[in-house]
Amino acid sequence: MTKKISIYQVAYKNLLRKKTRTALTILGIGLSAWVLISLLGFNRGYESALNKDIDNMGFQVLVTAKGCPYEAATLMLKGGTGLRYMKESVIADILKHKEVQQVTPQLMAAVFDPNKGESGGINAYLGVDPVTFPAMKSYLKFKQGGWFTQSDALEAVVGYEAAELEQREVGDKMLIPDKNIEFKVVGVLARSGTADDGTIFMPLKTVQKIFDKEGLITAAGIKVDKNANMTELENKLYDLPDVQVVSMAQVKTTIMSLVSTAKVMVFSIALIAILIAMLGVINTILMSVLERYQEIGIIKSMGAMPWDVFRMIWTETVILCLFGGAIGIGIAFALSKITDVLIRRLLPYTPTGSLIAINSRLGLITLGVVLGIGLVSGIYPAWRAARVRPLESIRSEGD
Amino acid sequence: MAPENILALEAFNLKKVYKRGAEEIVAVDDVSLSVKKGDFVSFIGPSGSGKTTLINILGCLDNATSGSLKIGGETVFAENKSLSESELTRIRRRVFGYIFQKFYLVPTLTVLENVLLPFAFFQKAEATADPMDILTFLGLEKRVAHRPSELSGGEMQRVAIARALVNKPEILLADEPTGNLDSKRSEEIGGVLKQLNAKEGLTVLLVTHNPSLAKVADRTISLHDGRIA
Repeated sequence: MTKKISIYQVAYKNLLRKKTRTALTILGIGLSAWVLISLLGFNRGYESALNKDIDNMGFQVLVTAKGCPYEAATLMLKGGTGLRYMKESVIADILKHKEVQQVTPQLMAAVFDPNKGESGGINAYLGVDPVTFPAMKSYLKFKQGGWFTQSDALEAVVGYEAAELEQREVGDKMLIPDKNIEFKVVGVLARSGTADDGTIFMPLKTVQKIFDKEGLITAAGIKVDKNANMTELENKLYDLPDVQVVSMAQVKTTIMSLVSTAKVMVFSIALIAILIAMLGVINTILMSVLERYQEIGIIKSMGAMPWDVFRMIWTETVILCLFGGAIGIGIAFALSKITDVLIRRLLPYTPTGSLIAINSRLGLITLGVVLGIGLVSGIYPAWRAARVRPLESIRSEGD
Repeated sequence: MAPENILALEAFNLKKVYKRGAEEIVAVDDVSLSVKKGDFVSFIGPSGSGKTTLINILGCLDNATSGSLKIGGETVFAENKSLSESELTRIRRRVFGYIFQKFYLVPTLTVLENVLLPFAFFQKAEATADPMDILTFLGLEKRVAHRPSELSGGEMQRVAIARALVNKPEILLADEPTGNLDSKRSEEIGGVLKQLNAKEGLTVLLVTHNPSLAKVADRTISLHDGRIA
């Protein structure tokens, strides 16, 4: 039979006295830890997802008609509305620069489909060059079929998600609303985890013809030589009339600056959650100290020094934070997908990969932060307990 | 048994004065006494007679305003020299075991864990006695795994006594230990204290309102208005 009991055992069992209060405090800490680790995971995940999206574009620079840089960035990554056009002849001008390896023209077209969803929606078609585009996007694999048979065929290659949404397979027909033109699905792409999954690709010439935009394009994707000086090339491209040059680095900066506002908001929420949890810990432990005022006095009469009592109360705080932290981290791992969805709703643009990248290192960092907060929160209640004089508690018994 | 005539403690002209605003209240007034090792002394007196204040000073829970105190022949404090809380704690854990009117058992610890509680903070090198022996001596051997809420008042006070004994104190201070118990349980606790004194040679200082409990002691000191009557 045991002949010893440690301060840590005593501290742990002290917390079992008021189980509901202890559980609620742990829950508060857990929620803060969840917010904190999700935020840290988001910080890590968003940037890597954005990098992945940009790498998967297949080109490093996009030239568009002059306009809003945010629109250009969105167009580059996602395909957008509010389209501006430039002449297709710009391709030849771009190709004159020695740093340029390859150029692919693109024409984005969008029509309103009254039958899409409950109140209609936009159908977007991306006209691409059947020669240069597949060469640049060599990572795209087909689930079914292949690229277009002719450069002006009424054919489409449908991204994985678009095919699922439209419930189309190779050989099926699709209709362009408003234009009343039918085209044939010749390929369905395998899932790539990029914006291409939701895109309907058609030959450039076909889109130009259907939408009366012959000789016009919305963008030109440029693959640049690895050793080229990007800044120098960008400056040269700006000499072209009425174009806007968006480089990968610029896109990243633009998106990150948009996201930073949301980040500040989320950081503020995390800070408030941590402060509330901290106050909760102080309140719980202080209440517990005041309730045990006499008992702490008796413990001191037994020979406990102030530091012993301080350590006991501090340990109680650490135990609360350890449990709370572990639960919060567990929740974060378990619900990272839901958190991902919530954050996507908050942000103006989100890359296609996973936004929350949580790993064991982040878990340890969060646990460390939560423990640090616990140690700071525990100082005042522990100090109060350490100062209890045994005589005061005994006097309160009378005589 | 303790050797005869060796003094457990000696107090000389102890005085304790409390200030309440401009008013001075003399709780203990010029008390001198000596207690031999193995003595069983009870302090009796009406409420406010200063018996608890006196026992707090003798038990190093408080400093006297003036006077001096020797424990085991060693001067603990003398005229105008008071001890810090840490110094008092060091003496307390070496010399004394305490039991009070309220039991102050930790509700989430078992009987055995409550008895072992002082070891979490301090364990005397000579405290080698098996806590189970103490619990057996006090008739609690079948209650070791129980929680305080499952015990009677008398049993809870016996657990508190076991807790006070686990570090082998030289002197046991019992301040109104039967104040929360009925007469049958009071008698039972009186019997336990007497047994500890007679069989183990433990020096016992007992404060009580209860004259019949005071009778279990070898010597009774009556206090009135802070003075020995």
